[in-house]
Amino acid sequence: MKVLVIEDEPALQTAIREYLEQQGYVCETAPDFPQALTKVNDYDYDCIVADIGLPKGNGLDIVRELKVLESRAGIIIISAKDSLEDKLNGLDLGADDYLTKPFHLSELNARINAILRRKHFDGNTTIQFQEIRILPASKTVLVHDTPVLLTGKEYQLLLYFIANQRRVVTKTALAGHLWGDVYDQAGSYDFIYTHIKNLRKKLLEAGCEDYIKTVYGTGYRWSDQ
Amino acid sequence: MKLLTKTTIYFLLIMLPLLTVSAFYLFSQFNKQIRHEIDEELLNDQIQWIRYLDTVNLRSMVFHFSTPEFSLQPADGATQQKPVVQSVMLYQEVEGEKVPYRQLTQLIPIQGKTYLLTLRKSLIERRDLIKNIFFVMMIVFGGLLGFILLLNWLLSKRLWRPFYQSLEKVQGVQLMQLGNLRFSPTSTHEFSRLNAALNTMATRIHRDYISIKELTEDAAHEMQTPLAIAESKLEVLLQDESLSEAQLHAIGQSTEALERLSRLNHSLLQLAKIENHQYDKTQSRSLQQVTNQYLGLLDELIKDKQLTLDTRLSGPAAWQMPDALADMLVSNLLGNAIRYNYTGGQIRVQLDDQQLAISNTSDAPAIPENQLFQRFKKGTPVSDHSNGLGLAIVKKICDTYNLPIRYQFENGVHTFTVFRFSPDSTASFAA
Repeated sequence: MKVLVIEDEPALQTAIREYLEQQGYVCETAPDFPQALTKVNDYDYDCIVADIGLPKGNGLDIVRELKVLESRAGIIIISAKDSLEDKLNGLDLGADDYLTKPFHLSELNARINAILRRKHFDGNTTIQFQEIRILPASKTVLVHDTPVLLTGKEYQLLLYFIANQRRVVTKTALAGHLWGDVYDQAGSYDFIYTHIKNLRKKLLEAGCEDYIKTVYGTGYRWSDQ
Repeated sequence: MKLLTKTTIYFLLIMLPLLTVSAFYLFSQFNKQIRHEIDEELLNDQIQWIRYLDTVNLRSMVFHFSTPEFSLQPADGATQQKPVVQSVMLYQEVEGEKVPYRQLTQLIPIQGKTYLLTLRKSLIERRDLIKNIFFVMMIVFGGLLGFILLLNWLLSKRLWRPFYQSLEKVQGVQLMQLGNLRFSPTSTHEFSRLNAALNTMATRIHRDYISIKELTEDAAHEMQTPLAIAESKLEVLLQDESLSEAQLHAIGQSTEALERLSRLNHSLLQLAKIENHQYDKTQSRSLQQVTNQYLGLLDELIKDKQLTLDTRLSGPAAWQMPDALADMLVSNLLGNAIRYNYTGGQIRVQLDDQQLAISNTSDAPAIPENQLFQRFKKGTPVSDHSNGLGLAIVKKICDTYNLPIRYQFENGVHTFTVFRFSPDSTASFAA
């Protein structure tokens, strides 16, 4: 899978590229508008991550260009502005998703994952991780081909973990992914623990290995190692 | 007091005594002048009489004349070189009362005998004359005073008009419209200067206001990118498998601190946006929907704290505020009710077409009124996750959309009530 990251901040660009490459993507970068325009014209990408505020141009124009090119690439816009207008503009123009800075790399990764799944397999794909098989179209989870009943939140957690497999995922990233902005109101992130505990219990009961590792004081890692 | 009233009063205060004094001065001058004329007449009469008495051949040794105007009586004592002129009051039969006279008396020698010569002139006609003159004078003076006052008032009113126009403009203006405010030049030099100064000032204030507004927003926006860099670098760093637990923990704590900073930044941006009226004011939203939505989203937190939830939502009416702000209002109030609650506590949410009331139990004491909606005044030191802006945002939203908000504390229960209408509009609504 090929991803183009259009971001003018070198440090952020590197961080995104490193994280995505660790997740197995082929990652290219463009630091400004003209270079980004050249790249989207010359190559095919599966997903494009574009910052709105770019030197010498606007990220939204890249979205327009991609539509002119009839590109099948998934598009995620990132912006420092948490403005509803920008978001709606971007989505109207044909972007698939919108992220406000600062964001978690695990969140970006999960969203790229979801878009690729939706775009390239029309959702008719299965996600396989060892003995676990997920059918996103029907939101079914099978362990050793036996269905496991998960709540909505537990299902989302599982998808997020598998998308960010072998990576440390912070509690705040999980909270942000599952509850959005509302988790600001929480006094603590302890409530996440309950969901993870339940998910782990259900998977273990279905005969699954324990893949959820607690990383002390930070978060969790989904790992088969 | 109005400037015009003030100048008029001062003018009156000065003019009245001045006119009174001059009236009295004129009156006394007239009096003096008339007395002087009469005295001259009397002296003239006296000379005439003496000359006549000296020349006439009188047979009788002692003679005696007496009329109110003239009397000649024998008298004792030395003759006087100079006559004595004085004012006297004498009874006059025609008038039926005592009337003023000017009287000249002199002891004069006639053929070796001493006589008292008395000459009198009635002042009565002259008094009337003076009185008439005085009245006429008063009328003229009064009229003059009135006319001057009126003229002064009219002139002032006309002269000060540009001033009042500018004043009205300044009074009615809001910070945001300052850019369109123009004070036109007038024919009065001073007011032209004032208006020019006001123009410069308005332009400068508007420019400063815009730049501060932009600075707040830009600063908040610009902060997002470095925050994003720091957070993502930490996330990448977190993946290093050679890190010790302590190092991981340190990275985790740094990440959370950065998260807090970014939320704080986000809240400040929201406050700035509400303050700058960057939300569409015409939108409206049913709070019942919003409340249900957030109760659903916060369900986890409520269960986690084992809170008893009592909801009475019976108000489908739309509240006059944009979606984004309705979300902020409800989520902040509900969030607080959960955050400051104790495990096993209670939350009550009541919504009808008039008001939204959210109460919660808490260990926290009543919030002092002066700190209630202040920024960064945290209710309790317990929660690290509060940024102290929640209630400030709630208050700002209520103020912007004219919704009265009330806080009550009773038996360990904190209640925030937001009213859908301000008191005056409720009255008109009921009618």
